Amino acid sequence: MSDLTGQTATQVSPESVAASARTGPTMISLRGVSKFYSPEKPALADCNVEIHAGEFVFIVGHSGSGKSTFIRLLLRELLPTRGQIIVAGQDLVKLKNWKVPYLRRNIGCVFQDFKLLPNKTSFENIAFALEVIGKSRHVIRTQVPEVLRLVGLEDKIESYPDELSGGEQQRVSIARAFVNRPPLLLCDEPTGNLDPQTSLGIMKLLERINKTGTTVLVATHDRDMVDNMRRRVIALEGGRVIRDQDRGVYGYVD
Amino acid sequence: MAMSINVGYFARESIQSFRRNWVMSLGAVITIYLSLLLVGVFIATGFVVNSVVESVEDKVTVQVFLKDGAATEDVNALQAVLLKDPLAAGVDYTSKDAAYKKFQEDMKESPEIIDQLEGNPLPASLDVTLKEPKTVELMVAKIKKDPLFLVVADRPDNPDKSLRYGQGVVNKLFALTRVIRIIEIVFVVMLGVVSLIFINNTIRLAIYARRKEIGIMRLVGASNWFIRTPFLMEGVLQALIGASLAIVSVVGLQAAIVPRLKEALPFLAVTLSGAATTQIALSLIIAGVFIGVGGSWLAMTRYLKV
Repeated sequence: MSDLTGQTATQVSPESVAASARTGPTMISLRGVSKFYSPEKPALADCNVEIHAGEFVFIVGHSGSGKSTFIRLLLRELLPTRGQIIVAGQDLVKLKNWKVPYLRRNIGCVFQDFKLLPNKTSFENIAFALEVIGKSRHVIRTQVPEVLRLVGLEDKIESYPDELSGGEQQRVSIARAFVNRPPLLLCDEPTGNLDPQTSLGIMKLLERINKTGTTVLVATHDRDMVDNMRRRVIALEGGRVIRDQDRGVYGYVD
Repeated sequence: MAMSINVGYFARESIQSFRRNWVMSLGAVITIYLSLLLVGVFIATGFVVNSVVESVEDKVTVQVFLKDGAATEDVNALQAVLLKDPLAAGVDYTSKDAAYKKFQEDMKESPEIIDQLEGNPLPASLDVTLKEPKTVELMVAKIKKDPLFLVVADRPDNPDKSLRYGQGVVNKLFALTRVIRIIEIVFVVMLGVVSLIFINNTIRLAIYARRKEIGIMRLVGASNWFIRTPFLMEGVLQALIGASLAIVSVVGLQAAIVPRLKEALPFLAVTLSGAATTQIALSLIIAGVFIGVGGSWLAMTRYLKV
């Protein structure tokens, strides 16, 4: 029952958030972006997408529709074959290689497979992410417990990943992505390995993070999730943007 | 402050990786150890050969044997002429008595030879030391042309028998050292390449073992040098351990072999100074660090995409 009330709440609040977000500064801008892995078939073809700071956006589509390529282009793991990509004010095509790590410090990342280190506790996993970008021990000691509290895992601080459920592991992974308070959070199939109940909890968490002003971009093929959340939906098919609507639904029949 | 944290982090990471991957690391250490040991032995051999060559060079003199009863003024005149020669470093007169005493001294192990001598058959001589050992043939030719030489020579009928010098010895030694040096360089280069490949391989495995961590580091925006440094340090660590073992072994070998060589070859000045040992140790450490950095770098550029 509590879930139902949660759903209605999410249906009301996003309108105001999205409305204000749409007018905010640009967080992500793709202009005429194409990506070819092979010359015949594009992974992305002539994509134009504008996402403003503070928005919550779903990218939906089948496997092979270009979702992952989209995310990897934003992380500058890939360069586009054509077009211009601007993320957090940086032109990714012109960005020097050595500056890429500094771009990524402004982008939190969450994946389907959590990417947690099995030999580290929740605390250590998050601390590792801070340690390797040169944060001091003081910062680590104060921020890691705080972010674990935020994701609701304050009592699992010393647990190893294999002692946690899938949902809990994904929460640790989100905590790691968010501990640095990045302006942008990218999630690639964040609920792909989770049951619907747990997925809902994860989505709630992403929504809470979005309310702090962080732009959240979720690539997913989780129909129920998208339909329940009623947020902006960008649909990809065969590498093209076929639909981009506010408060959209998943919209495929299959 | 951030720096001090990083140094601790890197040291921890590289030592941890070394322990986790200790079989391969041990393999790399042993390869580097053997390579550097051979390098050290080669350098030490080079030093010993050089010291031998130098001692032989010092002994390169042209002895001009004088006939008994040669006029003192003629001998003095020849000595003066030779002293003025730009090739000569010095000209010493050895009298018949002095030559005999020296002979007795040299032959004191076998006194029966001295006993067989009737009187003093040894000639007096002028001993010409040279500035440059290589010019010995030139000097000999000059002496032969000197008219005074024929006047005072022990056997004017056969000038060659009146002269004694280290014919060809010096040139042969020079040729030998050149060959030794070329062989050394070839071996050192080959062993260096083998060590590089071995370190490259261990670092490749270390990178593979830590690919998850590396992936996360890239994701959260760790800088390239931050990701690379632990691997670089691991390679250097392996190389330094190998170098230290090699230095200990070279010093040990030196302590064991040099005295025996001295005993076996008393007529050659076999020495290896403390300064030479220090130089060998330094070369090995530098070579080790070079191989360590080189091998890690090779692996990183090939297997670590940042």
